[in-house]
Amino acid sequence: MKRRNGSSDSLLTKAGGELDDRFKLAGPARVLFNKVFPDHWSFLLGEIALFSFILLLLSGTFLALFFEPSMVEVTYHGAYVPLQGIEMSRAYESALDLSFEVRGGLFMRQMHHWATLLFMASILIHMLRIFFTGAFRAPRETNWMIGILLFWVGFFEGFFGYSLPDDGLSGTGLRIMEGMTASVPFIGPWASAALFRGQFPGTDVISMIYIIHVFIFPLILLALITVHVALVFIQKHTQWPGPGRTEHNVVGFRMFPNYVMKQVGFMLFIWGVIAAMAGLFQINPIWLFGPYEVSVVSSASQPDFYVMYLDGLIRLFPAWEFRVPPYFTLPAVFWPAIAGMGLSVLLPLVYPALERRFTKDRGHHNLLQRPRDNPGRTSLGVMVVVFWTVGAVSGGNDVFAEKFDISLNAMTWAGRIGIVILPIIAYYLTYRICLGLQQHDREVLAHGLETGILMRDPNGRFYEVHQPLAEPDEHGHTELEYNGWVVPKKMNRVGALPPTDRGFFKSIEEPSENGAARDEIESGKH
Amino acid sequence: MSAHTDSARDEGAAVDLSDPKLTRFEVYKEGLRRDDIEIIHYEPRFAKPGTKAEKRMERIVAGLFLLSGLFATLFVVAFIWWPWEYEGAATWRDPQTWYTPVIGFTLGFSLLFFAVGVLTWAKKLLPIEELVQDRHDGGSSKEDRRIAESTVDTIVDDMGLRRRPFLVKSALLAAAPLGLAAVAPLGALIKDPADMYTVTGWNAERYNDGEPIRLMMKDGALVRPDMVSAGGQITVYPAIDHGATNQFPTAPTLLIHLREADAAKLRENLYPMYQDVDAIWGNFVAYSKICTHVGCPASLYEQQSQRLLCPCHQSQFNVVDNAAPVFGPATRHLPMLPITVDDEGYFVATSDFLVPPGPAFWNRPSLPEEDEK
Amino acid sequence: MAASAKRRRGWRKRLGALARFTGALVIVGGLYSVFSPSLYAQEAEDNAIDSEVVKGQELYDTSCISCHGDDGEGIEGRGPSLIGVGSAAVEFQVNTGRMPMAAQGAQAPDSDYPVFTEEEAAWLGAYIEYLGGGATVPDDLEALVENANVGEGGDLYRVNCGSCHGYAGGGGALSSGAHAPALTGVSDEEIYQAMLTGPQNMPVFADNELTPEQKADIIAYVQYIVNDDRDPGGVFTLGRYGPSTEGLAIFLVGMTALLLTTLWIAGKS
Repeated sequence: MKRRNGSSDSLLTKAGGELDDRFKLAGPARVLFNKVFPDHWSFLLGEIALFSFILLLLSGTFLALFFEPSMVEVTYHGAYVPLQGIEMSRAYESALDLSFEVRGGLFMRQMHHWATLLFMASILIHMLRIFFTGAFRAPRETNWMIGILLFWVGFFEGFFGYSLPDDGLSGTGLRIMEGMTASVPFIGPWASAALFRGQFPGTDVISMIYIIHVFIFPLILLALITVHVALVFIQKHTQWPGPGRTEHNVVGFRMFPNYVMKQVGFMLFIWGVIAAMAGLFQINPIWLFGPYEVSVVSSASQPDFYVMYLDGLIRLFPAWEFRVPPYFTLPAVFWPAIAGMGLSVLLPLVYPALERRFTKDRGHHNLLQRPRDNPGRTSLGVMVVVFWTVGAVSGGNDVFAEKFDISLNAMTWAGRIGIVILPIIAYYLTYRICLGLQQHDREVLAHGLETGILMRDPNGRFYEVHQPLAEPDEHGHTELEYNGWVVPKKMNRVGALPPTDRGFFKSIEEPSENGAARDEIESGKH
Repeated sequence: MSAHTDSARDEGAAVDLSDPKLTRFEVYKEGLRRDDIEIIHYEPRFAKPGTKAEKRMERIVAGLFLLSGLFATLFVVAFIWWPWEYEGAATWRDPQTWYTPVIGFTLGFSLLFFAVGVLTWAKKLLPIEELVQDRHDGGSSKEDRRIAESTVDTIVDDMGLRRRPFLVKSALLAAAPLGLAAVAPLGALIKDPADMYTVTGWNAERYNDGEPIRLMMKDGALVRPDMVSAGGQITVYPAIDHGATNQFPTAPTLLIHLREADAAKLRENLYPMYQDVDAIWGNFVAYSKICTHVGCPASLYEQQSQRLLCPCHQSQFNVVDNAAPVFGPATRHLPMLPITVDDEGYFVATSDFLVPPGPAFWNRPSLPEEDEK
Repeated sequence: MAASAKRRRGWRKRLGALARFTGALVIVGGLYSVFSPSLYAQEAEDNAIDSEVVKGQELYDTSCISCHGDDGEGIEGRGPSLIGVGSAAVEFQVNTGRMPMAAQGAQAPDSDYPVFTEEEAAWLGAYIEYLGGGATVPDDLEALVENANVGEGGDLYRVNCGSCHGYAGGGGALSSGAHAPALTGVSDEEIYQAMLTGPQNMPVFADNELTPEQKADIIAYVQYIVNDDRDPGGVFTLGRYGPSTEGLAIFLVGMTALLLTTLWIAGKS
């Protein structure tokens, strides 16, 4: 809407005209420019994953220029002194060369790895937001399922990524994956032999997972992300309830210029955070791990954080192995690794359908729910979060044990008991907290705000003065209906007291003119 | 609902776009109206253009952009000219150890400044606006649906799918093997696992012409009893070609020299299958290094508590009780490699492991010897 | 009262032990001088060693005897016998503050404030060695480390040491509360002594398993990665614990920064 001088205006018009002549864009472009987006901080979480993904494609392409997925044995003669003369695979050697002998290569590798962690972390946080606000409900179940698939494809994409350098830690990860694969009933050993072209580790697995990591899975991710974003666009974003907001409209600001500028700014901000972290925080120092050898392992061997939960389950699961003499064995690792992972994929995928079935709620929902307003779902979500967290912490229980001087066996037992007990406690507590919050909302709507002013009536009884939120009707009732959105809980939220000062270093607001009102309230003359 | 909004749009008095007196904003609003958008609130951020406050905000944004450019320049300069090559052990005083931090910091902050510039522009200079747009949720109109149904029906009938069931059936019949043919090439990956889990590098028949295989260290040195002191342990490999490489992933073995008292305990606890083959020699015992849980090397030997710990999932094995699992998720003992000392004084394996080493797998035979313990 | 009586009894016991020991020395020394008169020239030095032994015994009888027993014979359930462990083991345990142990536990933790000075530790070492010989650190360790092969050392470290102490020497947890300590800030001698003697749960790596040269290689590697070389990958190494701290960092630094940013960009509406 900026006023420009005539010449640039006409230039723009001319260019637009040329484009429209060829592509007939005026109509669709207008729809795009004018689309309305709701504004809330929690609607920006998925973008973190999206923009990390773009950076992953860019940095990954750089790395692919220098990395060689080959398991040919070579002797290292590169720059890193402590590995000189050591036999290793070409993959590990090229990963070292990439880190030490390519200008900026180490930075790029670290950026790729930090972006991965951010990608997975933001998917998790985004998923929690969607879950707790009920944004997965009809008509958006498909997009929820796509999101779950995105997490799991990202999970394996990340796992394969950090397996590629063929260093000691990544080999240990593959070793564990082999053990898990071999435990699958009927096909286990055959699947393992197919993946490693014979016995683990063989000489082919790196080139196999390389093509998956750089081509097949990125393609799947790209396709899924495209559909995911397109569906958000087509179905229009959900919004929080509030004045003027209904199931049938979207209140917010326009795609152009507001939304797009904020998106571009946020994208650059995310990239800036990743770049700064990649420069300042060292990640995955493969040169310390040495080449992968089957007889070598390090204490505190852990997977990346998004796999850690699964690793924790494997650590905690009791030593229960079932045997069917004479020929079949169902190893202990099958339950947490294969069955556990299967359930972790399946349950979230079908959750929207389950909830629909259970609540018999078949309507479309474009307004979000505050977590407190659906205590059952919220408590279930917190339960899963606690379960996941206990698992993830147990995935690093040896580091905890060592750094905080706790017995390793005690950590394992604490995890075993905790992963059963804590989610139940969390469910109960969350449920009570949700109900409490609901009740308080209703109380305020019915009786008004607590003013903090104590009065004494002629009988000597003390009571607190409440400020009703609405004008009394003809019966003198001031009760308001709950509309699913934030209920003001403080006097300054309804303008009876000046709002709390805003601004970071110094107040950015003029002194309030409500001083008189405050004086009035404080003196008790309401 | 969509019908309702459609009619609402039609009822609204559309402006006459050919009217030359229309302002640009009125034309713009007509566009919004056509997209079912209504302006609730729209005002410039600064009531009077060109005020001090506005100029100040412009200066801040411009300053952020210029800072971003400065940092980007610094990044390019550092990327090209900052010493970066690794030159052996270095302290924080050596500039090359700062290469990654410097380029990360400059690039990161260049991006951050630009980002904050754009965001400030959006937040502080764009008009304050609130608009409301109708959703058209809940499927197409009845008319559209009916037209689509008729279209599909026409297509189906044109093809004769209902009239020609034989064609459909034969096509489906052919599609099944065709689909199979599409995935069949993946079958090239299939490989018979054969005995890869049960035969290790210690198999004398396969790898050493039936001669007992000696124990060697990683550098190839053959192992004699005097090379391990009491309370000590070494990792040993079969003394065959590439015996210490990843070609023999289940071969690595831990040779432990127990103290007398511990060895006595082990002899007492020894499983019958190991007694039968005289698996330990003197106070020396050799256990597979590959954890029976999922295969990490269970190599954290605690010489006082006589435990072997696997660092991956914390399985613990009792060294003086056949390396039976005592804690953690492992279910089976670490197989013992039967050893003795040959005429020339070197350790040899008298046979391969009696039970398959390493993690369990679906068709792992349950050996009767294991249940005897 | 009781305490001082105990102390007096302790004194008497110690004086008695000293008297017995001096007596034994006189007899041994006498016999020695009778049978090898030509070695008179070395007498002064021998006396110096002997006096170290005596001083070591004094310290032993005040600080170690309660667990390790009379003359280092050990007490079942309290402390192992020290006969034959050698001076290297004693000096390692004492100089790193592990001994004397403050309380019985799964692990003798090291301490930055050892109870004894290095000199006193040497006396103790001399006494224990007097009791039953044992392993010692070679005098030319410095030269050995100087000429060591770091690459070889790395190979040996990963096979023999990394499983407990970690790839980056950060230490690791063992069963039931024990742990392998981090290797930061340890001296060449301490690493050598630890390998040679296998303190606590650490297996012994005597000279027949790892030659002094190989031990020097390992020391050179450890010092290179842990103490000499600065990681090229950033200002913060996150303790080099691997993915666990990296996972924490992405949430505490990356996600937190971005969540604050979302609040700034969009507000809470």
